[in-house]
Amino acid sequence: MSWLKNFWRGRKVSITQDRHWVELPGVGMVQVARSVDCLGAVCPRPQLLTMQMVEELAEGEVFELISDNPTSVETIPSLVMVLCSSHLATVRDAEGWRIYIRKGM
Amino acid sequence: MSNEGSAVDVVMKREGWLAQAGNRYAAGIMGLILLGSLWALSIDTRYVYLLVYVWFGMVYGMFLQYGRFCMAAAVRDLFAVGVPRMAVGMMIAVALYSLIAATVTVGGFSTFHSNALGWHIVLGGLIFGFGIVFTGGCASGSLYKAGEGNVGSMLVIVAISFSQAIFVSAGTWFDGLLPSAWIESAAAKDMPAELSVTQGWFDIFTAGYVWDLKGATLAQILGTTNPFVSSYLVNTLLVTLLPTLAILVLLYAVYYKKGYLRRAKISAPALGDHARGMWSMFTSSKNTAIAGIGLGIFAGLQMWVTGALREHYQIYNFGELLSAMGHTDGLSIQETVFDPGYWYITTQEAQWGGWILEKLGVNMTDNIFFGLDNGLPNPLLNAPGFMSIGIILGAAMLALSRREFKWKLPSMETAVFALVGGTLMGLGARIGMGCNIGAFFATVTNGDPSGWVYLFGMTIGGYLGVKAFNMWIERRSSQQDECEL
Repeated sequence: MSWLKNFWRGRKVSITQDRHWVELPGVGMVQVARSVDCLGAVCPRPQLLTMQMVEELAEGEVFELISDNPTSVETIPSLVMVLCSSHLATVRDAEGWRIYIRKGM
Repeated sequence: MSNEGSAVDVVMKREGWLAQAGNRYAAGIMGLILLGSLWALSIDTRYVYLLVYVWFGMVYGMFLQYGRFCMAAAVRDLFAVGVPRMAVGMMIAVALYSLIAATVTVGGFSTFHSNALGWHIVLGGLIFGFGIVFTGGCASGSLYKAGEGNVGSMLVIVAISFSQAIFVSAGTWFDGLLPSAWIESAAAKDMPAELSVTQGWFDIFTAGYVWDLKGATLAQILGTTNPFVSSYLVNTLLVTLLPTLAILVLLYAVYYKKGYLRRAKISAPALGDHARGMWSMFTSSKNTAIAGIGLGIFAGLQMWVTGALREHYQIYNFGELLSAMGHTDGLSIQETVFDPGYWYITTQEAQWGGWILEKLGVNMTDNIFFGLDNGLPNPLLNAPGFMSIGIILGAAMLALSRREFKWKLPSMETAVFALVGGTLMGLGARIGMGCNIGAFFATVTNGDPSGWVYLFGMTIGGYLGVKAFNMWIERRSSQQDECEL
């Protein structure tokens, strides 16, 4: 019945702040400052959340965006360029994609 | 991508292509399409005309899914997030389609008809552009997203279908608000009584207003007769390529230049730096650029194939083939059905909605849209309708095989947005004579400047839609600590 609850209340976007380290292919170990889980969200919300994160984080900090919306996953690297930040990696897993972004260049 | 991140897949790949469930499903869909095609051809080889729509639809669906080619994003993302990715992809498709369309026209196989130019194009584009911000996809975008398993997008298709069907046939309560000159002009058109063209706002709008307007390609307006000059120089170069180039330069200057120069650490850019910057903008999403190239080429080829088939069967419209095969139900009083011969989305969806309402006992043929122009064929014989189904299936196949297919149920908010936005898209599509494909993409590429007018309206609508959408999000997030979906 979780879908019924999601239908009435909406699935929440969760933004967690516990810093943790992940190893990114081609980048190495990176400390993730924030993790944004927006599974189920469709355009343009993942994009808007990305902008919000880039605004809130300090220069050099990394955040992770978890999305299952293919169109957003395609757009976010271009968006990150416009925001003068760096797209580190996009990792595919069973749920969707984890996109790692560092504020600044 | 120039500020490269890597894309990695951490899900284990199993051996063999068919070992993956998604690939098996995709192969199954392909098999069903092949079997269905063979079955149709075994009944009557003339169904090849209908199957051309299916197969091109399938190719469009694959390219749309491959490039995540969301044309709603072409307008929305500029204003919402300042990203020109989709607008650039769209312009690439426009440029290529126009070149092939010119060749098809010179070859004598063009199926294109111009749209009447008037204020209704701006207004229709505006309403459509406002709607797509809320549905999260244009008419084609909703089809390919439905193929990815997005139930919200399926609701958008339902809303577009029924809203159009109701708008074009609905009652008379609204008629009093229309200019009496339109009613007089409609009455003077000497139309068959069963169409009752002086009743129903869409009939009065069509017969009393749109029919009095002119629609033409620029070559027709200028009266050029040489086919090469009128197709390549006037219609393609002047109407399509130069405006496309101007838009691309504008997109670069407004949205891309600053970030590019900063990234490339160029402080005093020369012309060559800007050229490299433009190239970087084109290739910032390779998938989108490839999809734009593919869609442009195949959209042109579809006109050529359908034009050649019309020549082969000596027909002007699929309605003639349907009557010859004994299917006279659902033809218009001119014995025609909707049969554009090129990529088009909204009219066939209106026919789906109209056909269902007719079966429920509503009289849907006493109007110009269905009764005179487009007919109301059984969905199983609706050739352009199969193009839409082809888009869904093509997108589903590719999404399954890339493991991107996922059933996604909408939240109530998304569902309401889908239905309200889809209804606005249906209304805008009928007032503006099509969606961003039929009224913009297919028109500007064939030398009809009215498509740019539609895009102008759609851009304003998109801008207003983004403003309204942001206001809604702010309102929601001020109510709750956490942003809800």
